[in-house]
Amino acid sequence: MGEFLQYVINGLALGAIYSLVALGLVVIYRGTGHLNFAQGEMALFATFGAWWIYDRGVTMWFAVIIATVFAFIGGAVIEFGLMRPAGKKSPLAVVVVSIALFQGMNSLTNLVFKESSDGVTFQSLFPNEPLDFYRLSGETIWRFQDLGILVTVLILTGGLFLLFQKTKVGLAMRMVANNPDSAKLVGVSTNKTLMLSWGIAAALGAVAGAMIGGLNANLNIFTMFEIFLLSSAAATLGGLDSPLGALVGGLLLGVIKSLVSNYPKDWAGSGYVNATTAVAAAFVIILIVLVVRPSGLFGSSRVERV
Amino acid sequence: MTVMLDVKDLVAGYGAVQVLEGLALHVNEGEVAVMLGANGAGKTTTMRAISGMIARKGTVKFLGNDITTTAPNEIVRMGIAQVPQGRGTFTDLTVEDNMRAGAYIRKNGSDVDADMKEWYDVFPRLRERRSQKAGSLSGGEQQMLAIARALMSKPKLLLCDEPSLGLAPIITQELFTILGRLNAEHGLSILVVEQNANLAVKIAHQVFVLETGTIVASGTAEEIAADDIVRKAYLGY
Amino acid sequence: MTVPFTIQQNSPQHWAARTGAVAVLFAGIYYVYLTATTATLQSVTEATIIAIAAVALNLLLGFNGQISIGHSAFAGIASFVTGYTVSQWDWNPYQSLILSVVVCFGVGFLVGLPALRLKGPYLALVTLAVAFVWPTIAAQFLEKKIDDTKLAGLRLDPPGWTGLEGNRADRAIYMYWLGLLLLLVAYIVVRNLRKSRIGRSLVAVRDNETAAAVMGVNLRLTKTITFGISAAIAGMAGWLFAAISDTIIPRNFLILQAIIYLLALFLGGPATYTGPIVGAFTYFFVDRYIRQNVPDWTFLPAIVQGGAIAPLLLSIVVIAFVFVAPFGLVGFFKTQGRRFMNVAPQPLSDPATARLQQHTSAATAAESE
Repeated sequence: MGEFLQYVINGLALGAIYSLVALGLVVIYRGTGHLNFAQGEMALFATFGAWWIYDRGVTMWFAVIIATVFAFIGGAVIEFGLMRPAGKKSPLAVVVVSIALFQGMNSLTNLVFKESSDGVTFQSLFPNEPLDFYRLSGETIWRFQDLGILVTVLILTGGLFLLFQKTKVGLAMRMVANNPDSAKLVGVSTNKTLMLSWGIAAALGAVAGAMIGGLNANLNIFTMFEIFLLSSAAATLGGLDSPLGALVGGLLLGVIKSLVSNYPKDWAGSGYVNATTAVAAAFVIILIVLVVRPSGLFGSSRVERV
Repeated sequence: MTVMLDVKDLVAGYGAVQVLEGLALHVNEGEVAVMLGANGAGKTTTMRAISGMIARKGTVKFLGNDITTTAPNEIVRMGIAQVPQGRGTFTDLTVEDNMRAGAYIRKNGSDVDADMKEWYDVFPRLRERRSQKAGSLSGGEQQMLAIARALMSKPKLLLCDEPSLGLAPIITQELFTILGRLNAEHGLSILVVEQNANLAVKIAHQVFVLETGTIVASGTAEEIAADDIVRKAYLGY
Repeated sequence: MTVPFTIQQNSPQHWAARTGAVAVLFAGIYYVYLTATTATLQSVTEATIIAIAAVALNLLLGFNGQISIGHSAFAGIASFVTGYTVSQWDWNPYQSLILSVVVCFGVGFLVGLPALRLKGPYLALVTLAVAFVWPTIAAQFLEKKIDDTKLAGLRLDPPGWTGLEGNRADRAIYMYWLGLLLLLVAYIVVRNLRKSRIGRSLVAVRDNETAAAVMGVNLRLTKTITFGISAAIAGMAGWLFAAISDTIIPRNFLILQAIIYLLALFLGGPATYTGPIVGAFTYFFVDRYIRQNVPDWTFLPAIVQGGAIAPLLLSIVVIAFVFVAPFGLVGFFKTQGRRFMNVAPQPLSDPATARLQQHTSAATAAESE
């Protein structure tokens, strides 16, 4: 029992990171109806930026905050300069640009931060010494790192919820997500709102990158790809247009991954369970859910006029 | 008599397809103008052009200001609100949020609250359903909501695009009574476009007849009603 | 404004023009064979692999509207099947080709089944996951841990009847022709498929599924079989890779490859017959040029040195193309070409319509005078 709880606790931290990235995907999907394939790699670039700033001699928190602000600006610029013109061309153009951006941001990171190919040690935002944990009971511990990540994500999610539900800006974002034409007709600048959505998503990604860097104590050119895949799986599971779904989907996936990686210790098949199998298993689960509920657990079905 | 909206030589369309070819109409202050037209004549295109939603050429003047190249959200700020075709309610938002959405451009919170109360009095069914998602309302209720939302921006000119579309006759009657009252009691200038518009013409001061992109007949409601051809084609008798 | 010179579709002039173009192309290929170095011939074959995969992807994405960022998995599976059967079971490599194609068809069909339920971004994600996950499955099958998964390549020797020998130069020649032959096969398969009745249902499904279904197209069968055929053709690319390689490892067929196929397709022009081929060759040789020459471009800032610039430039070029030439190189050249020569569609056989067409073209001719 204690073991089970431990795996769940460990899984929550990783799951929280998936939730954060998934949240970014959901914010953009709600606003534009498109999936941001570059979400992970944009976060990678921002996180390497944070590492670079930290290397210049400031605290990690300061570095991450600066990187997040720049990520926000970068996201808005990408929306304005790339995605909006592409959207005017065709939906397929948006997909192609998104995929090209995915590859491009990864290559850019490799180019600008040469150390990314080998990887760098990443200082965690939270205390991460071997003795930094709470003892819950018996052998079960909760590392400060894991707790810190979970709490940060919950706070950010809560903040986003308040933004959406209680502020005018959030109302504008919900309007544009639901009916962009009507939003224009009540005086919303859809352009500004979409730039804001992209900025928020990029910022969330930057924070997520810092957290995974801290969790792995390492950051390299491949770090964000698997995160992106699993976060998209989480967002799909929860419903691409549901922030709550992103949160639940991410946490669920993280816990499942932790359990699947750790439990079948004595099975004959235990040699087959590794990181990639977990991804495969995640996608199989998603597929099953999509067959039963095509719009995900919490998503809303769209009526398409023929 | 001040001219609230003055449209001349309006040319607009979608990409390669030109729908409007030199349309002219006007709405006088405090009056109801009705534009009649069959399907495909260009009614919605006209409305979208006036509100700045599509590219347009020609001259569109609102209270003397040229808004031909103004952005849609700026046009709302200047005082034009549109009830789009098919209601255009925010289906995922509650009725109350839809009303607040209408007041997006306004700054004074307590004024907005007061207005919301006032419009809830005019549309009591909306007050009953204020916490429900707008998508769960009936067609008639959504139409009321769309109108209330447009009114929340305190417009000087209200554009209504086929408000009767898909509604039962008795609801349509209620609708036009309300529009008539808004004009008579609140002095609101209104431009309504309709396909089959007995009721619309009854509250109208000016009528314009649209056929394949241009106005082919115009005049006061009495003049148009007296015209046999128009009457047979658009009023059905 | 130049008035385009017009010829009728399927008229003798049209046939002459097309035959002429093919002759020029063949002359070009033969010329390269005669004059190129072994290294260049090998490069062409490498580009051909990408071209075959792009043609496969074009069938699925360009003509059937199903987006896949995972086609590298099919090529990878084919190369592994080939490597395994030849080295472990001592198979004839050409038998392996047939088996690979069949296996890929099966896998593609299987992936196409859940794809029925998924559209757009969801489908793209699932194919991305397939591309990510297939090396693990291959490793399972080979009973090795993933980093050790390595098979011997074929280094295919030319058969005796060609008169070529088993040395490097002759092998390159043989693979050059074999690769182009496989590309031709892929091109013909896709072209004939597209021009057939099945091809029309493919495109109908791409443009509007519901309408297609209502008109009697069997959606499930169309989409899954198209997935299968597309995967099978990609399998040919994988076999070709195995044939020219010394070793086969999963790293040759990861996500980057799948993205390259996609981007090559867009570079050349989706939903055209020659687009993927043009795009693949253009990508390959421009990429090679950049890799070889960028270190010498000392006027560039130091950070821009090294191979990492190539994928970045590819991304930038593709994004630029989306705005400048959304129909790819082929689309661009077709538009420019139409300013000089136009192919008028064949008049229909029904007399009334033919009379109308004649009347209309006479009127247009009168107008432009």
